[in-house]
Amino acid sequence: MSNTVKKRRNTIPLLTTVSPVAIWLILLVAAPLLYVFFLSFMATDGYKVVIQFNLDNYKNLLNPTYIEIYVNSFIIAFFTTLICILLGYPFAYIMANSTKKSKTIMMIMLMVPFWTNSLIRLNGWKTILGKTGVLNSILLNMGVISEPLEILYTRGAVLLGMVYTLIPYMILPTFASIDKLDGTLLEASSDLGANKLHTFLHVTLPLTFPGIFSGSIMIFIPSLGFFFVSDIMGGGKSQLIGNLIENQFKAANNWPFGAALSMMLIALILIMVTVYKKSGGDMEDLGVM
Amino acid sequence: MKKMKLLVLTIVYSMATLVLAGCGKKDNGTLNLFMWTEYLPDSVIEGFEEETGIKVEMQTYSNNEEMLAKVQGSNPGAYDIVCPSDYMVENMISQDLLLELDKSKLTNYGNLYKAYLNPSYDPESKYSVPYLGGAGLIVYNKNMVSADADFTDYEELFNPAYENSIVVLDDFRSIIGVTSLSMGFDFNETDESKLSQVKDKLLTLKPNIKSLDSDSPKTLMITEETAVGLIWSAEAALAMQENENLDIAFPDQGLYLFLDNLCITKDAKNAENAYKFIDYILKAEVNKEISTEFPYLNPNEAGVALMDDEYKNNKAITIPAEEIAKGYFVMNIGKTVDTYSEMWAEFTK
Repeated sequence: MSNTVKKRRNTIPLLTTVSPVAIWLILLVAAPLLYVFFLSFMATDGYKVVIQFNLDNYKNLLNPTYIEIYVNSFIIAFFTTLICILLGYPFAYIMANSTKKSKTIMMIMLMVPFWTNSLIRLNGWKTILGKTGVLNSILLNMGVISEPLEILYTRGAVLLGMVYTLIPYMILPTFASIDKLDGTLLEASSDLGANKLHTFLHVTLPLTFPGIFSGSIMIFIPSLGFFFVSDIMGGGKSQLIGNLIENQFKAANNWPFGAALSMMLIALILIMVTVYKKSGGDMEDLGVM
Repeated sequence: MKKMKLLVLTIVYSMATLVLAGCGKKDNGTLNLFMWTEYLPDSVIEGFEEETGIKVEMQTYSNNEEMLAKVQGSNPGAYDIVCPSDYMVENMISQDLLLELDKSKLTNYGNLYKAYLNPSYDPESKYSVPYLGGAGLIVYNKNMVSADADFTDYEELFNPAYENSIVVLDDFRSIIGVTSLSMGFDFNETDESKLSQVKDKLLTLKPNIKSLDSDSPKTLMITEETAVGLIWSAEAALAMQENENLDIAFPDQGLYLFLDNLCITKDAKNAENAYKFIDYILKAEVNKEISTEFPYLNPNEAGVALMDDEYKNNKAITIPAEEIAKGYFVMNIGKTVDTYSEMWAEFTK
């Protein structure tokens, strides 16, 4: 059998199995991205996009007002991620170390609410946190407070909405990495005289770090773009990069600038992932890329 | 196998019957209608088909830009009637997409209020017939503002007394426009030096804003989360039904208005049918049917006359004609819109 035949024998099945996926990716991922990239160099005449190559949209990205919005978005995304780690990791740890039955129950408790549309759940928070909402009514009636608390329509409320919407993305990957942790390593650690805290800090935590990082990426990136959380919980007063992009495509009708903003966001994300890779992270562990 | 054959035959026969039943109706051609979602009752379309024998094919859209893109992207004449808002009428006229209307074919044109005709976006009403619309109204809670509060001036919104207690539309053109009006400038101001003053003024409004909400601002007024609102007129009317402490005001500087219009496209294949349809919509009884289902701002005087007193006396629904006459529409301001959108980013950051 000649080499070419052998090669063809190997490539035909490969082609038939891979090409549908490839076509899918080219049509639905690559082509729209290229279009956005192309659009980011165009201009508008106030009515519609005009084909006229320029770099003004990219210059416009450096406007101090917009930079402040990026910084605010990053602060909110950072704290969202941090809070998700602080709440999600212990939850995942307890879940991984419980019996099979309670594991199932906890998983159901985690997943069932997320089958409901997130907009509906966020509007539910409004009923709870509003000035005449459930929480304020209870506290007022109990005499704990004399004036209703202003919780809704603040940055804190945006943060709460973000954490609430995104926390499963932290719990699931950390749970997976804690769950598959080799128990013998923990036994070895304790045989060698390490106490529980030591074992956790020097064995469990480093080994489950990829789970935490994977969760962080899955939370940090969407929280830069979840404009509806800022709209519903923050009353639209604390714009995120996502709101800025949304506005360009809708009200402001400036698609090229919106495209430039999107390209910037994509570039930032690629840089973050590259840093992770360079610092010795394994792309396999991310599970999302 | 026999059973299968029987089943197939039954299906074929029933389909044939349906087709033949369709033939029974008189066939006077078709009409391709491109309309906002939830904006035209099915009963009106059925009534029109019944009366004229014209078959109506309706497609819907949920924003002006989507409609424009589809009109430009389809074969010429794919849609006979479109329903653009004010600024989009101007846009479509400038792109030569609309047909100049022959008013002699619209026998019910006289039913419209004069105040709605010859608007700034179509100065001689050559291309558009007003359909339904709305306004941005000031709503306030009588128990939550001081007795001498005067909302007939937009200036009142900037009063520091309303710190964190106002809800306004999340709509940059209307809020910046209203801020301009409060300073004696134009609603569609394009002078950059004036706009920089407007920006300073706008930023003084920020501490007063509790929420920017275009979807359901009435909720905040009903639950008394906010004391004052600048919200859609239809929302204001609903809020007043739910909370009797609410009242509305018409600022002297003029209202922000929006109006959707029936227009015939330049290349319409069924232009004659389109005229018939617009004329049918303009009929007082048909208009009553529409505004009973969708209580938006109604430009049809004869139609309003048929409504009950509750509708006619509700100023949030039937806004007085003199207020309409001095109101403002959002106009296309070309590249100045970038200044507006930057100002808005500063305001909402």
